Amino acid sequence: MKHSDTIVIGSGLAGLMAALTSARRGKKVTLLTMGSGSLSLNSGVIDVLGFDENHAFVESPRKGIETLPKDHPYKKIGMDMLEKSVEAFLAFTKEYHFPYRGSLDKQIMVPTAVGTLKPTCLAPHSMDGTGFKGCSKVIIVAVEGLKDFYGDIIKENIRPLLGEDLVYEIVTIDTGLTGGRDITTLDVARWLDHDKGMTTLSEALKPYAKGSETVFLLPQILGTSGHAGALALRGKLESEVIETTCLPPSVNGLRLQKIFYEALRDSGVDIIEDTKVLRAVRKGAKCTAVVAQAAAREKTYEAEKFILATGGFYSGGITMREFEHPKEAIFDLPVWFVPGEENWSNEQLFADKPQGFAMTGIRTDENLLPLDGNGKRVYDNVYVVGRNLGGYDFCFEHSGNGVALASAYKAAMM
Amino acid sequence: MSELTKAIKEKTESMLTADHCLSCTSCMAGCPVMEASREYRGPKLVGPAHNRMRFSQEDVEESLDFCSNCKSCDRACPSGVEVSTLNMLRRAEYYKTHPHSQRDDMLAHGERMAKLVRSMPFGASCANLGMKIGKSLGIFKSIGIAGERDMPAYASKSFLSMFKDIRQTSSEKKIVFYPGCFINENDPEVGVAFVKVMQKNGYEVLVDREFNCCGSPLVVTGYLDEALEHAHNNVARIYHWKQQGIPVVACCTSCSLMLKKEYHELFDEPEMKEAAENVYDAFEFLAMLEDEGKLNTKFGSLTHHLLYHVPCHLKSQGFGTPAAHILGKIPGIKVELADAGCCGMSGNYGFKQDKYDISMKIGERLFERIATSKADTVISDCGTCRLQIQHGGHVEPCHPVEILAKAYGEG
Repeated sequence: MKHSDTIVIGSGLAGLMAALTSARRGKKVTLLTMGSGSLSLNSGVIDVLGFDENHAFVESPRKGIETLPKDHPYKKIGMDMLEKSVEAFLAFTKEYHFPYRGSLDKQIMVPTAVGTLKPTCLAPHSMDGTGFKGCSKVIIVAVEGLKDFYGDIIKENIRPLLGEDLVYEIVTIDTGLTGGRDITTLDVARWLDHDKGMTTLSEALKPYAKGSETVFLLPQILGTSGHAGALALRGKLESEVIETTCLPPSVNGLRLQKIFYEALRDSGVDIIEDTKVLRAVRKGAKCTAVVAQAAAREKTYEAEKFILATGGFYSGGITMREFEHPKEAIFDLPVWFVPGEENWSNEQLFADKPQGFAMTGIRTDENLLPLDGNGKRVYDNVYVVGRNLGGYDFCFEHSGNGVALASAYKAAMM
Repeated sequence: MSELTKAIKEKTESMLTADHCLSCTSCMAGCPVMEASREYRGPKLVGPAHNRMRFSQEDVEESLDFCSNCKSCDRACPSGVEVSTLNMLRRAEYYKTHPHSQRDDMLAHGERMAKLVRSMPFGASCANLGMKIGKSLGIFKSIGIAGERDMPAYASKSFLSMFKDIRQTSSEKKIVFYPGCFINENDPEVGVAFVKVMQKNGYEVLVDREFNCCGSPLVVTGYLDEALEHAHNNVARIYHWKQQGIPVVACCTSCSLMLKKEYHELFDEPEMKEAAENVYDAFEFLAMLEDEGKLNTKFGSLTHHLLYHVPCHLKSQGFGTPAAHILGKIPGIKVELADAGCCGMSGNYGFKQDKYDISMKIGERLFERIATSKADTVISDCGTCRLQIQHGGHVEPCHPVEILAKAYGEG
């Protein structure tokens, strides 16, 4: 039986942040994971709050949070912890050569693969749409053979957003990667990790670069390591280069994941991968251990403190085999949901209304300890973070990574 | 829970796990072969997506041949899809109607060849010489075996014949050592070190000559029927020891994964799951002794900075990296995890001429890590990982248990 100070379950953004923050406080941390976590499926930019309850655009996440209902996770986390988590995240990304920028006062607009602009709070330089400011020409860089990034669609959608008076041009790059299976942004990013790829790209784009007049808009392809690729290309072209969000596998999410794992190793976190946590061992109000499935047998992991970061419906952190009976399988925590079949979902998937089912999750007190339906604490040492929390629709309000980051930070600091 | 949902939940057959695939692409991001080659269409398409077409008889996915069964996809999957096992089942299906190459026959049947070699006087020396000549004449290359590599040399004495000469202190506490083909034929010192380590911990080590090859080389080359015969034999032997309360322990992580998990995933027989409960990886077993406060920690001092390449097939056993922890307790030892992904060898995959470049490209990250690390010794639990480290990293790696044996000192 292994004994740790803190066990974190789950390796999405919340789990990684919780493990890192705990370890940096000097705790002996064990991270238990099943699957590679959400970051390869996640743009890796930190949306704190993009839209309010009425789906009105939020100019300042800080102000927007004030208007949220009292049961929203941010209200439990508190502004102080949110601020500290943002500070800690910015410092960590800088330390690992992948600096993010942004603040809680103002949104960053990130271009998407269909040429819209989406609000986020923290993003790396290469995805920060602020860089469009003052340019007169946008060069949209498409890649031969890369699906899901169509220059024409981007041009049509981004023109009214950035200005009809700008010049828009589409350049298609031949990477030489065609001829086998379909390529992804990850293939192109790996190609650009090497000098040969980077030189080919920069040579092809050079004729279009006219200093600060030009901005190059690319899919998420500028290397797999931090901001190295973006820095290199920006240096060669002496113009701004901006990446869009793209369909998964998400290169930017993987960049973030990579520095998290580096930092976890550097902080001495013991990572046990490919193990599904099955159940908790309980003693009174405390959990003393969790039991996880390894090949052929179960293993017991003891700790003083547990942080649950297994996610919601998508990752199986919360399941619902029967209607109105959602379950959290490990600790059997009470799961809150919006009752009534008619409130469960909104048939217009992309409507400006939240989805009832998305609010499903665990309710906590201000310490992020789980509560039952009567507001009574269920465990004294099991903290709930990220998408395990109930009472918010991250997709609708654009708050997923923000809640993950801040709740993970707070849970680790408790 | 309704009867139907319960029934669905309890279905563990690998084929059915394909239906849990959400097409999220986690496996694609994690697949080392996809990173190295654009000929492989990737785990998501070749595994679960293609599996949905399983009712179509004529359907052949050519690029399935590129899967190395490293299981990175299984580990990346958030939904428990046994992607690599789906691939191996599909590959076996393919070979039901397609002939095997002579090369695959040779790579799959190392155990058969070894038996032949050992039956001849001076067989090992002759075979080693023969392999050298064969390599220089390009004979291996001509049948599709990577000409750049040396075939692993036979040790002058197999582990099982060396074992006869090891004088052990007998004990009430016993374990059965499962050496597997590679340790038995090519790297017996690992087995000798393991016996020493177990003796130092108060265990008497037994061997069972009725065990045969775990079947891993057969599974990856599509000889699934033969692998099943091996499974039945080995599972019966494991049961035999289980009944006497004697655990079976392996030092090779591909063997232990096969015995513990892959048999059941591939063949879905309940006996395989039950037998698996009696099989342990060496450091898993030692870590359990440590948990009970029974690990002998009277280590002598060694001066080593170790770079630990954790084999994929160890990662897939879901208990972390206990060797790093245990070796870290030895005074003077520093253990650094390589964290460089798959080495690219994947058993006999890297020996295939048409996969050699892919294998070496996958290994690049590890080779670079070895070149830039300040470590003086590279360790890895897997025999074929060690071959790749030797070939591409130009260093002489060893098994972690050899370091542990050294720490226990002479005698």
